Amino acid sequence: MIRHYLEKTWVQYLVLALLALSAVGYFVFVFHFGYGYRFDWTVLYKENPSYGEVLGHLLIDGLALTLAISLGSAALALFLGTVFGLARLSKFRPLSLTATVYVEFFRNTPLLVQLFFWYFALPMGLPEDLRRVLYDIRLDLWGLPVNFEFLTATVGLGIYTGAFMAEIIRAGIQSIPKGLLEAAFSSGLSFTQTLRKVVLPLAFRAIIPPLGSEFLNNMKNSSLAMVVGVPELCWSAQQIKALTFKGFEATTAATVIYLSLSLSMAALLNMVNLRLKILGEKERGFGHKMAHALFKPLEIFLETLAEVLRPSPRPVSLTLTPFQATMKRLGLAARKVLIKTGKALYLALLAYTLYLLAKGLASLDYGLIGENFASLLIWRFPHGDPSESLMGLGGLSLSIFMAVVAISVSFFIGLFVGMGRAAKNQIARIPSLLYIELVRGNPLIMIIFWIYFFLPIFGLDLDVFWSATLAMTVFTGAYIAEIVRAGIQNVSRGQFEAAASTGLSYLQTMRLIVLPQALKQMLPAIAGQFIAIFKDTSLAYIIGVFELTYVGKIIANRLMVHPFEIYTTVAVVYFVCCYLMSLGAGKLERRLASDTFRLNM
Amino acid sequence: MFKKVWTLMALAALLLIVAAPAQAGKTWDQIQKSKELRAAMLTTGKPFGFHDDKNEWVGFDVDMAQEIAKRLGVKFVPVKADNNTRIEFLVTGKADLTLANMTHKRAREESIDFSITYFFDGQKILAPKGKFKELKDFVGKKIGTMQGTTSEVNLRNLLKGLGDKNPNVVSYQDEQACFSALEKGIIDAWSTDSTLLLGYAVQAPGKYELVGDFFADEPYGIGLPHDDSKWRNTVNALLQDMFKDGTYEKIYNKWFGPDSPYPMPLTRKIEMWP
Repeated sequence: MIRHYLEKTWVQYLVLALLALSAVGYFVFVFHFGYGYRFDWTVLYKENPSYGEVLGHLLIDGLALTLAISLGSAALALFLGTVFGLARLSKFRPLSLTATVYVEFFRNTPLLVQLFFWYFALPMGLPEDLRRVLYDIRLDLWGLPVNFEFLTATVGLGIYTGAFMAEIIRAGIQSIPKGLLEAAFSSGLSFTQTLRKVVLPLAFRAIIPPLGSEFLNNMKNSSLAMVVGVPELCWSAQQIKALTFKGFEATTAATVIYLSLSLSMAALLNMVNLRLKILGEKERGFGHKMAHALFKPLEIFLETLAEVLRPSPRPVSLTLTPFQATMKRLGLAARKVLIKTGKALYLALLAYTLYLLAKGLASLDYGLIGENFASLLIWRFPHGDPSESLMGLGGLSLSIFMAVVAISVSFFIGLFVGMGRAAKNQIARIPSLLYIELVRGNPLIMIIFWIYFFLPIFGLDLDVFWSATLAMTVFTGAYIAEIVRAGIQNVSRGQFEAAASTGLSYLQTMRLIVLPQALKQMLPAIAGQFIAIFKDTSLAYIIGVFELTYVGKIIANRLMVHPFEIYTTVAVVYFVCCYLMSLGAGKLERRLASDTFRLNM
Repeated sequence: MFKKVWTLMALAALLLIVAAPAQAGKTWDQIQKSKELRAAMLTTGKPFGFHDDKNEWVGFDVDMAQEIAKRLGVKFVPVKADNNTRIEFLVTGKADLTLANMTHKRAREESIDFSITYFFDGQKILAPKGKFKELKDFVGKKIGTMQGTTSEVNLRNLLKGLGDKNPNVVSYQDEQACFSALEKGIIDAWSTDSTLLLGYAVQAPGKYELVGDFFADEPYGIGLPHDDSKWRNTVNALLQDMFKDGTYEKIYNKWFGPDSPYPMPLTRKIEMWP
């Protein structure tokens, strides 16, 4: 009986509405917020008497900076990604090797460590005068404060995201069938012509969707700029909290802003994806039509621009005059020489960089690294004091432990939520959807803040380590849910129908037929997610968990004189771990390879 | 499937209800019950709370908190905090008191309570030796400080008062970042409580100096949960006892005495009630 009613959509909505209502009612009338927290939303829009300003303005300024950093770094990342993505495919080995090193190094170390490196360590390698100029930059671009901190954050973020984009672009270009290239070359197109007229237009169709989600990640990652003193959105929320102790209100406001940014970006990306789908005029649904209408002005603009810029057709004669022939030969010869010199110059530059790097590495104090290496790996295990969870375990082993706990628990969350997300029943679908979008629409730092600072208001009390681990779990759960959903939806419709007609129930179908197939496909993606969460454990440093980054900071704090040694070691340790894991993931992917999926991370 | 969903929902609802009544009692009663004193302290505030070369967590604040726990006859449970969390911990009941070189400020009284002042400090500016003479010289310069501290507010007010319309202040997350930035020349000067500045400056002897006078008083109080006078009275009495029998001076001299790396003679007496 209940089952019959639950299959009706209106019943499903009604149940959800009732649940939501009772939750709201419960929190408003029955529940007492822990420790007598008093809500005061006026801090956001009323002038604060102690400071004589409206603190909500901080959020607006923060938002402007977040947007500026996101846009600037996205542009840089796109540029770097294209350059290095193409460079990875180059036949000139030194170039492709450099690109590989760039991609692997920056993808496999945490952004947080990279930002510390760019901000504190790198300028030390520059000449004094140049350094001074950099540090003293202080511009005002339409009210936007541009300084060394801002530039470091933007460039650092751009370089980080660029490495991911390079991989996407490389994969996109390599997805072009070889036959097309051969056809292009045999019809006499030059390399640049092939690239411009054949490869890129096709590759972009494959590249744009993953590129879009990279832009989204980039925006969320901009929240890390706060560690180098940029007052962006997350910083501003912290600032309001510090000034007024109204953390709940400030963080809610920041969360809402991040969420609306993410959702509008996601909506735009959706439109782009719809627009890119090749469909006949009749097959287009409402969404496709909307997308077409939305991008029409842009298309018209680009077409006009192309029309204006197109060179007037030159009269072409197939035979060259002797003069033209000589010129052409000369041109070709000059090009060869140019390419040769270019390669030589590049090699020289590379050699010089390597020399600088070797010199820098040789000048490190290895005794110091040796003395502290054990601390970086395990901190004080097993001689920790009572303030430390897990007998003083810390450093690398704690990071790994956190990542393992988070991925194991979130796997099950992801499995259920992913199934819920793929289900037809609204009671399962809508809460799953809300969870996924809410979590994925916010930077991990915000999730950590919520779990750590605001769970106690709801009466749950956890120490730093478990709060951070819970935050990672909740965060990863949403991503795994998306992987699971994609896996389920990849299983063909017919199998569901076949299962239903043999009398299997929904759960049986899932357990016996769909999930076994989907899980095999999902494994590489989950491995990628594990690497990502391992890198993200570095963010737990912000609330003082003794993972690798924090231990590095504590040691650098004590030594004071040589922080460079410690930060380099931390970066190398992260890199080695992540790189080995990604090699393993790659192997796994090849072993499970079928042609329907590809590792995305 | 629907049954499962219902069970899940019911479970979730149950969890919420069970989790709700985990309310904190009054601090004093709670300490008596748990026989534990949860003291929040900094990990990057040399010499108040930091990790020494054996990776032990030590400092003036740590010793003070330990002494308080000893006198209460309960177990000492240190809790790691930073400038952004030291107040939050009291508000959310993660700690019974905080000793985190925290300035007793009226604005903070709205959320938490303070003990009597247990350490007198003031704000100064640390800069490379010989570069600046007086506070006026800092107008238009790039100065670092920590986010979430009174130093930040005071510094902005000082610079504005000196005629700097748009102070160039960079707020980092902790002391270590400030000192690194100063060392590398990213900022021209670093401003916060003078003892913290000295604690870092002695690491590079002769390179840095404090410039100008104190421009803000920074009386440190022990942070306590709001509206819990029994607990506040206990802590105040303990502090005064410690001062009377010389324990305070012993701890003080361990960190700031003539043989310490940052000598600072004890000149002021804490508030004493007869």
